[in-house]
Amino acid sequence: MRERIAGGYDPFVLPFVIGMIFIFIYLFIALIRVFRAMPGSDRKKFFLSLLNPTIMYKNIRDVICDCLLHIKIFKRNALLGYMHASIAFGWFMLIVLGHIEVMLFVPQRNGTLHYPIFYRYFVAEQNATLKGAVFFFLMDFFLLVVLSGIGLAMYKRIRSTALGMRRTTKPCFADRVALWCLWSIFPLRLLAEGFTAGISGGSFLTKPVNMLFANFLGNDMNVLPTWWAYSTALGLFFLALPFSRYMHIPTEVLYIFLRNAGLKIHHPRKGLAEAEIYSCSSCGLCIDACPMNMQKKNLKYSSVYFVRFQRRNNKKKINEIAEKCLMCGKCVALCPVGVDSCGLKQAQRATVTDKLPYNYSFLASAHHQGGGPSMPLAPVSGSATGNEVTANAAAHGAGNATGNAAQSAVGKDKVLYFAGCMTHLTPAIIKSMTTIFDAAKEDYVFADKDGGVCCGRPLMLTGKVTAAKEVIERNREMIQDSGCKTVVLSCPICLKVLKEEYNLKGITLLHHTQYINQLIDQKRIRLNHSEESFVYHDPCELGRGCNIYQEPRNVLSAIGELKKANKEKKESICCGGSLGSLTLNYHDRVKITQESLKALTFDNPDKVITACPLCLKTFSDQSTTPVADIAQAVAGNLK
Amino acid sequence: MNNNVIVIGGGPCGLEASAQLHKMGYNVILIEKDDHLGGHLAKWDRLFPEGIPAKELLDQLTGNINGVKYFLKTEVKSINLLDKEYNVILSNGITILAQAVLMASGFDLFPAQKKEEYGYGIYDHVITNADLENYFKTGKDCRIKQNPQRIGFVHCVGSRDEKAGNRYCSKVCCATAVKQACEVKEAFPDAQVYCFYMDLRMFGRGYEDLYLKAQRDCGVRFIRGRVSEVAEDLNKQLVVKAEDTLSGKPIKVTLDLLVLMSGMTNCSAGTRIAEMLSLKRDEDGFFTCKDTIFSLQESDKSGVFYAGACTGPKTLPDTLHEARAAALAINNYIKNKE
Ligand code: SF4
Ligand code: SF4
Ligand code: SF4
Repeated sequence: MRERIAGGYDPFVLPFVIGMIFIFIYLFIALIRVFRAMPGSDRKKFFLSLLNPTIMYKNIRDVICDCLLHIKIFKRNALLGYMHASIAFGWFMLIVLGHIEVMLFVPQRNGTLHYPIFYRYFVAEQNATLKGAVFFFLMDFFLLVVLSGIGLAMYKRIRSTALGMRRTTKPCFADRVALWCLWSIFPLRLLAEGFTAGISGGSFLTKPVNMLFANFLGNDMNVLPTWWAYSTALGLFFLALPFSRYMHIPTEVLYIFLRNAGLKIHHPRKGLAEAEIYSCSSCGLCIDACPMNMQKKNLKYSSVYFVRFQRRNNKKKINEIAEKCLMCGKCVALCPVGVDSCGLKQAQRATVTDKLPYNYSFLASAHHQGGGPSMPLAPVSGSATGNEVTANAAAHGAGNATGNAAQSAVGKDKVLYFAGCMTHLTPAIIKSMTTIFDAAKEDYVFADKDGGVCCGRPLMLTGKVTAAKEVIERNREMIQDSGCKTVVLSCPICLKVLKEEYNLKGITLLHHTQYINQLIDQKRIRLNHSEESFVYHDPCELGRGCNIYQEPRNVLSAIGELKKANKEKKESICCGGSLGSLTLNYHDRVKITQESLKALTFDNPDKVITACPLCLKTFSDQSTTPVADIAQAVAGNLK
Repeated sequence: MNNNVIVIGGGPCGLEASAQLHKMGYNVILIEKDDHLGGHLAKWDRLFPEGIPAKELLDQLTGNINGVKYFLKTEVKSINLLDKEYNVILSNGITILAQAVLMASGFDLFPAQKKEEYGYGIYDHVITNADLENYFKTGKDCRIKQNPQRIGFVHCVGSRDEKAGNRYCSKVCCATAVKQACEVKEAFPDAQVYCFYMDLRMFGRGYEDLYLKAQRDCGVRFIRGRVSEVAEDLNKQLVVKAEDTLSGKPIKVTLDLLVLMSGMTNCSAGTRIAEMLSLKRDEDGFFTCKDTIFSLQESDKSGVFYAGACTGPKTLPDTLHEARAAALAINNYIKNKE
């Protein structure tokens, strides 16, 4: 092992060194910005999390699995996963190995930026020696890994379907610069090391390259220009990095740390949100995920573009996309980085809607009011007007208010049934639930029999957070005052907000799918196993929203044959009726409904079963296959 | 050249057109999928505005079609254009070559169970306008109690409702609701009748008088606002929630009977035939006329004509006019061809 260049320096390293210093400074400033924009409590939470061994373990695991190996993408598509992992992990290993070489063999150069990267230029070794053979081999091996990934990436630009992607993102200018640099870095490295292999040594990749070129090129003459080119490509890449999608490489690590510390989004573009926005790799997986993209004209509303406009702070576009999104959560569930674009959009909506005036003064009197016939009520839900959802969601917050549960004599062992506004529009579900309660001889209190206050989720989704808090508080009191320790809900939209925002300690929240599943397990109801076949639709808010996938399937298997849908569980397609979108028109929604039904009925089930009143209504309008709620299916098969 | 004309649909429109074409000397073949002629008219009791019995009109229409060949319980299996003539194969095995085809396929009533929040098919005392006519005709409907005290009518069920998929107004249900409101008041003089409406579209001659009569003589209470939801209480009474948009207050009414004014949608059987011919349809599902003012009876395919509710909701007089206009248009077309 000997150093070839006295002083260990050559001007060709300059572009790289400049790029490197630039990126270090840039990242440092960015880091400060993120932390400064955070509320103090979040900062504290973050630093404390660094002392927590469980969280640290999670951090390390996530960094390895997500940033280096891209396990999540692997699970979706092996080739695509390999493409991402080979570049990330291969490159990582090249850097690590370079540093190890420096540490082991030329310790006097420890701490120089360029040595580990341009090691082959500065240090010569024979591959006959053991250390030479091992490192030469490893370096060539990982270079090959990266090159194979780059090859795939080039191929993907031409034919994305080959890697399981129907649509990819459109790169912006900085993306293109960075992309061309990235693509050229490794071939140039191969050339540079190849030309140098005659002097410094090489292995199975670099040696043949050396021999090949030796036949028609004067090797030594090409050594320096190729190293210059390699260094320039690296330098340029670092200069373009902050303005390109590759900013996700450093940011993702930070985001993993922040996320695991349990921080929440406070502002749509600052603090945690900023880390999140820059963690997006523009991989484009969310484009194919989004149900709106059944139609090409809606491609522009994909989360990836939302994030891109967030980076550019293009207010008009940001608001347009934020309002369009159905908040079905599919892009979030499938995003390999875990960018919570729905959370960002909700925060964005809040900047527009939270300050809108509202008047829920009726809530105060709602507590102990009985709902006699013909009695004027507080504003009634506006969902029957057939208007766009904005009006709906707003009116929902002002759901009619009576407090039935609070007046009834209730006790500990009773179950509180909270149907929710939506379920009141699908009375068949309520009827089935009461039948099931009776069959199970359940002692229950019907909390909103004569109407209740909205759960608050539609308001949350529109971004009217302050207003939502008011109705939430009112309902929280009602539930706590009831004394019941179990709440059964028919609407997943309610369930999600009760779980996330209500802070109901000591009270079990069950969706009726879970509740019915318990009844079956405890043999409190007995069911017929019919000849019918069912397919189950995972409602967005129940599946991706509350992670309830198995119980409904157990229940359906108990009463008939459960068939598979083309897209299931995490990948389930929104019914199209989601309250989440403020601007998506009826026609686009119908397209989504039809697509969702197509995926559901591909195995010709007798019935489509769902577990959400909104899905039920939406599907019933379009479906040729009968649609029913799981409660209806169960009530119809009671022994 | 034969002088066959095929008329699809044996409702009032198809009957009148057949009679006229027959008089002009054409060989008319009338096809009806049901086991009776008359379509919805045959199931109706009385007609607005004056309350003429539907049967009178039906008898008159069927009396005029002597000599017209008609097939009941028959559907079109295939239809295609063969060198300026339409080759039609029927489900009873008969094949006909015809010079022209008249679509008089009419409408389907909007399936009220689709508006689940109104509880049709779920609650015991919710019926539709068609059910009520049937009750008037037969005196039987187990959903109608002995002596209902409070009766409500919901206008625009499945019409003017984007969420139900139909943005258009069904045109006849306002007048029908007002007519039926008066009729139930006559049948149950003690009852209080409510109409929940968005706008009252009493456009025809005599309709406004009907509306005045309903208010003045029958004491019908018209509440401007949409019903948001309906629930059933322990006594099986219906609890209806709505918003009175005139007073700006939400209201809640308990009822013994709720009648849903199902609107019109394009007839599914007619649509199926239209698909075989690749006829154009509008976004609302109804067939697209050649233009919207001058050539209402012509389609985008030469030799195929339209009349009646297959091109949008129509009243009976409108429908009968169109039937005659279509007969004339077909006559002109065939004469031209010769
Ligand atoms: S949001 Fe997630 S899925 Fe979409 S492009 Fe960014 S990283 Fe990929
Ligand atoms: S939440 Fe759903 S609708 Fe919104 S962008 Fe993501 S996938 Fe599309
Ligand atoms: S005629 Fe009246 S009830 Fe019928 S759809 Fe039009 S406005 Fe509604």
